[in-house]
Amino acid sequence: MKRRTFLFLTSGVYRTAIDGGAASLGYFLAPVIILLIFSFLETPPAMADVRTVTVGVYENAPKVFTSESGKPSGIFIDVIEYIAKSEGWNLRYVHGTWAEGLDRLAKGQIDLMPDVAYTADREKVYSFHKVPVLSVWSQVYARKGSGIQSILDLNGKRIAALEKTIQLETFTRLTNSFGLKITLIPVPDYKTEFEMVAEGKADAGVTNRFYGLMHARKAGLEDTPVMFDPAPFFFAVPKGDPKHLLDTIDSRLSELKRDPRSAYYASLARWTSEEVQFKLPAWMQIIGLVFGGTLLMSLAGSLVLRHQVNERTRELKQINAELRFGEEKFFKAFHATPDAIVISRAADGLLLEVNEVFLAESGYLRDEALNHTTTDLNLWVEPGDRERYSATLREHGKVRDMEARFRTKSGKVLDGLVSGESILLDNEACILTIIRNVTERKKTEAELEKHRLHLEDMVEIRTSELSAANKKLKELDTLKSMFIASMSHELRTPLNSIIGFTGMTLQGMSGELNEEQKDNLTRAYFSARHLLDLITDVIDISKIEAGRVEAYPEEFFLREAVDDAIATIGPQLKDKGLIFEINVSRDMHLNTDRRRLLQCLINFLSNAVKFTESGKITVASRIADEQVSLSVSDTGIGIDGKDIARLFEPFERLETHLRVKAGGTGLGLYLTKKLVTDILRGSISVQSTEGQGSTFTITIPRDISDYPGVLDEKSGGDIL
Amino acid sequence: MRTGLVIEDNENNMVLMTRLLEKAGYRTLWAPTGMQGAEMAIKQRPDFIILDIQLPDIDGMEVLRKIRTSEIGNTIPVIAVTSFAMAGDKERLLAAGCDEYIEKPIDPRRVISQLKRVIGEIP
Repeated sequence: MKRRTFLFLTSGVYRTAIDGGAASLGYFLAPVIILLIFSFLETPPAMADVRTVTVGVYENAPKVFTSESGKPSGIFIDVIEYIAKSEGWNLRYVHGTWAEGLDRLAKGQIDLMPDVAYTADREKVYSFHKVPVLSVWSQVYARKGSGIQSILDLNGKRIAALEKTIQLETFTRLTNSFGLKITLIPVPDYKTEFEMVAEGKADAGVTNRFYGLMHARKAGLEDTPVMFDPAPFFFAVPKGDPKHLLDTIDSRLSELKRDPRSAYYASLARWTSEEVQFKLPAWMQIIGLVFGGTLLMSLAGSLVLRHQVNERTRELKQINAELRFGEEKFFKAFHATPDAIVISRAADGLLLEVNEVFLAESGYLRDEALNHTTTDLNLWVEPGDRERYSATLREHGKVRDMEARFRTKSGKVLDGLVSGESILLDNEACILTIIRNVTERKKTEAELEKHRLHLEDMVEIRTSELSAANKKLKELDTLKSMFIASMSHELRTPLNSIIGFTGMTLQGMSGELNEEQKDNLTRAYFSARHLLDLITDVIDISKIEAGRVEAYPEEFFLREAVDDAIATIGPQLKDKGLIFEINVSRDMHLNTDRRRLLQCLINFLSNAVKFTESGKITVASRIADEQVSLSVSDTGIGIDGKDIARLFEPFERLETHLRVKAGGTGLGLYLTKKLVTDILRGSISVQSTEGQGSTFTITIPRDISDYPGVLDEKSGGDIL
Repeated sequence: MRTGLVIEDNENNMVLMTRLLEKAGYRTLWAPTGMQGAEMAIKQRPDFIILDIQLPDIDGMEVLRKIRTSEIGNTIPVIAVTSFAMAGDKERLLAAGCDEYIEKPIDPRRVISQLKRVIGEIP
């Protein structure tokens, strides 16, 4: 991989450059520092207005201690010397034990005591600044092989600890809380403490981790896992800060802690690393402080540089790892995708990289493809497609799902969906092209299309077959209607004769009849009438069902139609002595099929009379919007709720004691319902309570002349 | 004695109607087709005509039109006979020039009273 090689190369070069720079910087700096120190010594900073700050020194290396040359040293000393130098202070050191130092500070004999942990009690006597110089863990140290693995192992042991320290207080509290019995040996300094442990005068010693790191090995001791109470350590000044030192210390400390390359971190690195050995050989002391100082300075300088280099190296490693991860992801995606991917150079169109899918589908070997153009490979079937692709890329910077056809090495043509994007690789304009092979999909689509067309053809053929069949059916239907029409005439004509002749004879026009003759003829007469009714109903129903009954709307007054119906039914009504009530307004007029409405009304009324032995029959109407409801109520036998559903079915004659007497075809309500819904465009309903009576209601439009399938008024009559 | 022309294609119905008329005291003529009926009406000038609307050759309405447009015009009353279920409109027939309208199956007594009213024998 070209890119990967490049990256390795890059980081390699970079690292070399830093290393070389550090080395040459070191060589360069050494003489300069020496010069600086010489010039410093030649002009001592003994100026009249320089403030003198007295600092207590005790032995707690590496935080604060006296070096073998007798000079105060350690982290606190480095910090205060940096501040003194920056502020132009003149430092004066007063050596003593920890307790002496605190005592002197309380009496105002010194201005500053380093390495003081804050407590509320101390706050009463001293003042503290706010930014801690150090946060230090306390730790227990013991002779090698002491077997101390936890705080419980300290039970019954003699423990040395620095007197008058927070550390001592905390440790006592800690061991008490575990219920341990410990013999505490207060010591004036850590050096004494370690000596006592080493000599077996104490079993273990408590010290801070800084001191332990620096001195344990030399003293022949080792650290135990018992660590406790990380505490912040400060400089302390006499109560009230009479010399106004605290603010300055805080601001300088913040400054030091912000900068990772500051003297503060250099000091930490220097004093907490055991590897750092700076013990000056005796002959060096003879040569003099100047050389020693020079060495120290250059050492510090190189430490700072080394720190920087390490820091930078770490960052680069991180970046390198991230890049390598990113690259790996890209590599995997590039090869694992099911699409062909090509990276070409924008300037000349040469293919810089292709993935395995591209090679597999195009049939070219990697060497045949790379450093050739798609035109060289004769990839585009339509040269216009390539131009369209380039033009779109130039214009929009990307192309999405452009359809194009490609030719493989063997000449096979594939359908592809092309997407592309202008990208920058190693600062060079390139084009990332992704081709999805949709040949199979296209084939499937074409197949589907073929099937679809075939289906359309089939549907067309079927449709024409069906419409032919339909036409035939319509002809048959007409034929059937014609048949019914003539049948109706042929059946009715002889019936009319029978009814006429028997009627004439019954009416005594052919002479007197005895009772038996009269009864015989009456039975023949009513049977013929019944047959006629049946024929009439059947014909009506079959015509309606064949859709051959049209509505003939005409304008009329509803009340007149009701009166006509009552007149028809009148004789039966009178025979039974029923009360009749009409609640139909005289000025309500309709435009609908009068004859069919009349047929319905007569049917309702005839039923009402048949099934009512005494009481009242009521005809009522109600208008709501463009609808009129017409109801016929009776006080007859009523209908059982479970039978209501069967009421409008053909040939359903409910079982009642009046059934035989009532007669009827069993088609009346079925026909009525058909007339109401199909011809009058309304609805029919019934409410009934068995033993109390029924109410049949039709609700129809007042004007049906505008309904589809309704003939114009007076356009013609029924052909039958 | 008044004469009635019965235009009716069915023999039974014709016999029924003529017998009924004779019992009521009228003389009768019979025409089994529409064309014959119209011809006889114009030539023989009956006192009234009983016209079945459904005829095998020409429609009863056509027969009526022929009679009304002939020289006899409106002078002879015509009673149309038709089936209820097949009825065109009573009004339609009356508007076309019929004087009365009878539905099949006929009620003998009623036919006679309707006829007498039409020819003015009873009010």
